[in-house]
Amino acid sequence: MTPKILVIDDDNALREMVGIVLSSAGFTPAYCPDGDQALEKFKQFEPDLVLLDVMLPGKDGIAVCREIRNISGTPIIMLTAKTETTDVVLGLEAGADDYIVKPFEPSVLTARIKARLRPMTSLEDTVTVGPLTLDVVGHQVLKNGSPISLTPLEFNLLLTLAQKPKQVFTREMLLEKVWGYHYKADTRLVNVHVQRLRSKIEEDPDNPKIVTTVRGIGYRAG
Amino acid sequence: MLKLLRRSVQARAVATTVALSGVLIAALGGFLSFSIGNGLFEARLSQILAESEAAVIDVQNTFAASSVNDEVALQTLLNSVVPKLEATGVADTRRVALLRSPGQAGIQLLQSPISSGLDTQVIGQSFREEVRNSAGRVLYQSIQLSFAESGITRLSPGIVVGSPVEIPLAGKYELYLVFDLSSAQQTLDFVQQTLLIGGLVLIFIIGGVSYLVTSWLVRPVKIAAEVSEEIADGALEVRLLEKGEDVIAVLARSFNKMADSLQRQITKLASVSKMQQRFVSDVSHELRTPLTTIKLAGDLLFEARDTLDPTLRRSAELLHGQIVRFEVLLNDLLEISRYDAGAVRAELEIHDLNQVVGNAIASIDPLAKNRGSQVEVVAPGGEILAEFDARRIERLLRNLLANAIEHGEGKPIRVEVGENAHAVAVNVSDRGIGMTKAQLERVFDRFWRADPARKRTSGGTGLGLAISLEDTMLHGGTLDVWAAPDAGATFRLTLPKVQGSEITESPLALPNSEELGDKA
Repeated sequence: MTPKILVIDDDNALREMVGIVLSSAGFTPAYCPDGDQALEKFKQFEPDLVLLDVMLPGKDGIAVCREIRNISGTPIIMLTAKTETTDVVLGLEAGADDYIVKPFEPSVLTARIKARLRPMTSLEDTVTVGPLTLDVVGHQVLKNGSPISLTPLEFNLLLTLAQKPKQVFTREMLLEKVWGYHYKADTRLVNVHVQRLRSKIEEDPDNPKIVTTVRGIGYRAG
Repeated sequence: MLKLLRRSVQARAVATTVALSGVLIAALGGFLSFSIGNGLFEARLSQILAESEAAVIDVQNTFAASSVNDEVALQTLLNSVVPKLEATGVADTRRVALLRSPGQAGIQLLQSPISSGLDTQVIGQSFREEVRNSAGRVLYQSIQLSFAESGITRLSPGIVVGSPVEIPLAGKYELYLVFDLSSAQQTLDFVQQTLLIGGLVLIFIIGGVSYLVTSWLVRPVKIAAEVSEEIADGALEVRLLEKGEDVIAVLARSFNKMADSLQRQITKLASVSKMQQRFVSDVSHELRTPLTTIKLAGDLLFEARDTLDPTLRRSAELLHGQIVRFEVLLNDLLEISRYDAGAVRAELEIHDLNQVVGNAIASIDPLAKNRGSQVEVVAPGGEILAEFDARRIERLLRNLLANAIEHGEGKPIRVEVGENAHAVAVNVSDRGIGMTKAQLERVFDRFWRADPARKRTSGGTGLGLAISLEDTMLHGGTLDVWAAPDAGATFRLTLPKVQGSEITESPLALPNSEELGDKA
């Protein structure tokens, strides 16, 4: 069974072209041309990953992203023509896992999709950090016995940090291990997702105890 | 004090008012004091003369009516004249002398009676002569009296009145009455003192009043100045209070009108700038979406080029190359329009310049190898820390390196890094074809190329140096260039170590300052 990708983009030619690239890379694409139908299409198609254009007729990409995040942790990659700080950060804060700036190459598109679909491996079956227990096989996090719902990306981020407690990870290290970037990438990806993760696992996200910031270097768990 | 006068209109106005009114009050006071003194003297004088005439007549009558004929009786009569005259006067300070005129036949047997405390020296000889020749008229003269009072000599103005008197048996005598005017002088002193104190108080009051009046006048100007400052600081909606119909209200209205107009212009400009940014953003999206499709399609064709026949394969290769070029051009265009719209913000952080230079050289390495250019680096050891946007500075250096390689004709490229107390600098030099002075002047122009006939081998957009210059200005740095035909070119980037500080001197020198094309 090939991974299903939902392409939400209003540009017919681009949608079809992305479909061709995805099909030839071994994915099963489905399409949605506007923001208003996106959620319905998402529920119906149940994709493994969503490619979402930021500028859409009807609801914009940011709003669609937020809607999908409300009901699912499915990886979302934003397609953006903008690299302006606010647009990218808005998309990430709305729950997008990653973003690709137009115009992009076919190889970049497939590499980013594969990086998001690849499950994270671990030597242990369960990892504990503070009050949290990570069930690696079941992709579940229990806090004091009750489950917390994390997106796969958030789970991977937490697992990466928790596997080596006390070790400080730089943002670049996290970009490589969690996002699969092997060259310099946008460190805001890390900042925004650490914030999202903290808001789910910490008692007081402004005063984190589990994932702490090491000023000038990066983050560590425990 | 002088500084205050120079700085404050109000202080100047008050000082001028006080000075002018001081002069006027002094003149007025002087005049008043003089005429009061004069008046007092005249009044006293006429009284004195009247008294004196009465006294003279009285004395004449006394002698005429007497019928003394022996010297002792005459002496007694003479002696009685003085106390009588001393007592008759209104003023208690009248002194009397009855002196015998000199130059008469016969010896003087009788004593001349003189009031005690009267020094006959005060009666001048010339005055006595005038009196003798006055033919019976009463004459007067102003004199200075001096009294010794408990060891202190007191001077006071006085008047001596004299008249000849004929005394039977004794011959010609002169009767002198000496009047002390010190009481009139005291009155005058008191008036003068009062005038002086009054004048000083008046000047003080005038100073205070003019201070109040000027501050009332200056206040609206001060408020206008404060409001101007606020507007200059960006509070465009601040206005002056318009009240009344006077000149100050006119000032306020004109000022507010000006502020309204400025605010409209600025708001308009801001909205134009916003529209421009919006346009850039829209163009970005609109162009990038079709370009993405083209790029994806082109790449699929390019990757499958080996399965195509030679004509189609070459077409796919050309398509691929030009799509890359198109993308670079689009990015450069968008970057420069972002600068034009003022929408660029530097992401400033402390970075090691050596490392950024290293990254730029590494990324340009394939091009250098391709063109056979060696890149030599001369840099001080350790970290060279400065505050800058690493992405932009690396791009800038990459661009300078690419230009050097493109125009360096395979000769070595030299990169030099330097620092001083306030600035850091990078020189990128090639020893290639160089540029003429005319070319040098246009080197930072958009879409300008040193040699239009040259092949566009490195696919530059012609915007590279224009963007580099913008990047440099964004950092408050300088980008200088030296070049000479067939001697190569050197570009020097100088950046302040701390943003906002002034660069006085670049840490690195250019080959020859005379051929300098200074920019930014």
